[in-house]
Amino acid sequence: MGAVSSAALPRRGELRLPPYLPLLFPAVAFMLAMYGWPFLSSFYQSFSVAAREGALGLDNYAKAWELYRKDIAFTFAATILNTFLAGVVAVLFSVYFRLRQNRVSAILAALFKLPIFIPFVVVSQMMTSFLAPHGLLNIALAQLGLVDLERPLQLFNFAGLSFGFAWKQVPFAVLIIHGGFQMIDNSYIEAARSSGAGMLKVILRVLVPMNKSSIVAALVLVYSSIVGTFTLPYMIIGGKTPTTITVDIAHRVNYFRDFGVANALGVCSYVMVIFTAAYYLKSRIREARQEAAR
Amino acid sequence: MRSVLKKSGELALLVVVFLAVVGPMASLVIWSVAQKWYWPNLLPQEISFDYWRQALGLQTSMAIGAVSIVSAFLLSLGIALATVVASMAISIPAGYALAKYKIPFGTAIMFLFLLPNAFPQQPVFVNILRIFTKAGLAGTIPGVMLIHILVGLVFGVWITSATFRAIPPSLEEAARSVGASAFVAFYRIALPLAAPGLLSSAVFVFLTSLDEFTGTFFVGLPFVNTLPLTLYSSSGYNLQFASVIALILLVPSVVFMLLIQKVLKAEYVGGMG
Repeated sequence: MGAVSSAALPRRGELRLPPYLPLLFPAVAFMLAMYGWPFLSSFYQSFSVAAREGALGLDNYAKAWELYRKDIAFTFAATILNTFLAGVVAVLFSVYFRLRQNRVSAILAALFKLPIFIPFVVVSQMMTSFLAPHGLLNIALAQLGLVDLERPLQLFNFAGLSFGFAWKQVPFAVLIIHGGFQMIDNSYIEAARSSGAGMLKVILRVLVPMNKSSIVAALVLVYSSIVGTFTLPYMIIGGKTPTTITVDIAHRVNYFRDFGVANALGVCSYVMVIFTAAYYLKSRIREARQEAAR
Repeated sequence: MRSVLKKSGELALLVVVFLAVVGPMASLVIWSVAQKWYWPNLLPQEISFDYWRQALGLQTSMAIGAVSIVSAFLLSLGIALATVVASMAISIPAGYALAKYKIPFGTAIMFLFLLPNAFPQQPVFVNILRIFTKAGLAGTIPGVMLIHILVGLVFGVWITSATFRAIPPSLEEAARSVGASAFVAFYRIALPLAAPGLLSSAVFVFLTSLDEFTGTFFVGLPFVNTLPLTLYSSSGYNLQFASVIALILLVPSVVFMLLIQKVLKAEYVGGMG
């Protein structure tokens, strides 16, 4: 709190710093040292050459491509597919919550709140025990006669990862998208209905187009979250191939202390989110400017 | 006829969603009390709270893989409390400055605080590990605290600046006009009005620290075993203890987040853990 009091008493004479400078300095200095520097050094380190100190080259990228190109493709595919699925399912549920207000939809909406607030590390543990070959899901499906326990569903792969992501991200996307739908006045829906539009047409021509911005915002957040998530793939897939880039980065660092290839993979993950990151930064800064102008 | 179809469809949807959402959580609860669970029964044959008692240190156990989580819990609690104090001490003034002053390079500063949400954070943690290893901070509690402060600070600054922005500047100006110094105006007017928002922000920073896994995994292992890392390391061979820890982490997150969710932007809650 020292910064506050020194900012408040600048009356002693010539040294007149603008009052915001000491207020901002600790936070900005901390961010530059603890975020800005490591962030930039992930680019620099990715070009470093292990054999020659100080030399720069593409060796790390060549090695990353040679060893992990399948995982890069896997990560990209898992991200695209899961974002798309989460988006479609979340839009359907949000539409349902917008159009139906009864006890069933209220219970569903309450259920959907829970996963949002459960941290990824807990979700990962849940999924490892729930989806295991001897886990609750397989046993329950076997009781219904849907699965032969001699050959249980193997879910510690793309499928299990997708279920875990959907479990956490669909409710999150619903939170954002449903918020947008609530802004749309009933009169638009009624007008479309009275001029003869069916429900599907109302959804596709009225609700979704009017709520495009929050749907895009939800997709952007889900997409970048999936690219960067380490816990869930690490605990569900681990070292098996194919796995995600985040797991490869951990292996590179923990087993080989190979920061060069780890950072090359890290830069690959930056590149994967380049468009969503640009969209996110642009919209948040525009939003903050509008707030400031008010 | 159509309405019956609609109703039963809705009920089927409810059942499916209920099972999908609650199933994984039920799996945790069952495992945490499963004394004897012979495959392939749906439920355990014998239920007891032994694993809870052993994990909480109420009962010592000779069983292989038995862990007392008391020390990990106290460590996590201590780190989280220190993180809240440090993050809030840095982010309250910064949030206030961003809300109340016209700052040159303001966009660049906002940019800096938005980057961690826009790009994956894991590569940054990896490089912090590299830097911390040289500085002797890797595998130490202060090193882990710095990571948690970083994670908390980003949210702290955004939430506090939004809180201060919501307070009409006229109130502080009125105090200044009757002779209060800038600090007194802040301390007596802005701070009390912002208290609910600041408290929510502190609670949120506390939870992010309690649940933080990825950064602690890189910087803290193998010496700093917070609760999430203890969960991870017992996950492979001892599902009962891992489930107990997971539930201990789950409850405060859900309870507190339900309390403070109204104050938070939706996107913050998505990035947890």
